[in-house]
Amino acid sequence: MKFVRRLGISALAFGLIAPFAGAPFRTQRRGLDLDSIARAIDEGTDHVSARQLAEWIRDRRPGLRVIDVRSPAEFRNDAVPTAENVPIDQLAKSQFAPGQTIVLYSQEGAHAGQAWVMLRSLGVTQAVFVPGGLADWREEVLYPLLPANASPAERAQIEALSHYFGGSPRIGAEQGSDVASAAQIGRGSRRRGC
Amino acid sequence: MNDLLIAGGIGVAFGCALECAGLGDPPKLAGQFYLRDFTVLKVMLSAMLTTMLGAFWGGRLGMFDPGAFYVPDTYLLPQLLGGLVFGLGFVLSGLCPGTSCVALASGRIEGATTMLGLFAGVLLVGLTFPAIEPFYRSTPYGSLTLQRLAGLSYGDMVALVTVVAVSVLAWIAKREARP
Repeated sequence: MKFVRRLGISALAFGLIAPFAGAPFRTQRRGLDLDSIARAIDEGTDHVSARQLAEWIRDRRPGLRVIDVRSPAEFRNDAVPTAENVPIDQLAKSQFAPGQTIVLYSQEGAHAGQAWVMLRSLGVTQAVFVPGGLADWREEVLYPLLPANASPAERAQIEALSHYFGGSPRIGAEQGSDVASAAQIGRGSRRRGC
Repeated sequence: MNDLLIAGGIGVAFGCALECAGLGDPPKLAGQFYLRDFTVLKVMLSAMLTTMLGAFWGGRLGMFDPGAFYVPDTYLLPQLLGGLVFGLGFVLSGLCPGTSCVALASGRIEGATTMLGLFAGVLLVGLTFPAIEPFYRSTPYGSLTLQRLAGLSYGDMVALVTVVAVSVLAWIAKREARP
């Protein structure tokens, strides 16, 4: 009984000092660590290519979390498999476990890049984004242009990945195929950016 | 692999603690609902106190960052309904998910049947998920914590919860000391 009472009193003491102890959060500042952001951008650790993402999804990389930052309507229309929809305005309210690899993507990459900075400001450092967004996903993973000078092994690899996600590679224009193949994908011209 | 070993160790310790507290025994758990036996409340309150003070002071002393802890999102209505169903099952079987494992490990047949029901229920929800998903995602509040709800600082909330929990524990101790 004596021991239990002592436990209770020490718990009470620890609890009552807590209001004067300050905040226990390390990421409380919510400030931007500009140096580490600049370093990540310089080193290229801030992004992954659509093809790299596809390989991660296919290989079931542990802790991978693919996040689509577009609107729910756009997400329903077309999305990367295994992705979850967290629109930009919901992002700050979401929780991200430290062990996860978070991959952000948007339509063409700009919003994902901005979301990446938002997450950085929230202290989430394990996020990357896909620079070309869903457009790159279509162009590099689903309907990749097979380069004419690629080795057979390389071509097989690209083909396998494309087929895995239900797409089919296009033949390179250098090989005499029609240039209109881009229209075949059901997409107009796209802005290259980011 | 290392993580799995640590998780396994913590799991064994957790099961041992539950069994030592007598929580593998369905009548004891059901007794809480009839206010005959306060073991469940004592175990829950002391666990909450330990975890809360550990999380706060561990973070304050720089051992880890409590901001990185995962706080599940709140969906008010579905979780309210889930809580009701859970409580109903709890008082009917006298076991909750964790204690059903403990009961099974100590050879009680109730543990096995409760776990069977548990997995059947999980499977049922999984199979009907497309139909219930709109409800599942209704009334979202994000990751709601007591301090966010009350607008208090983390430290103030810790003090408040400590006072409440210790008072209740003291009250239970006094009640149990009576013949």
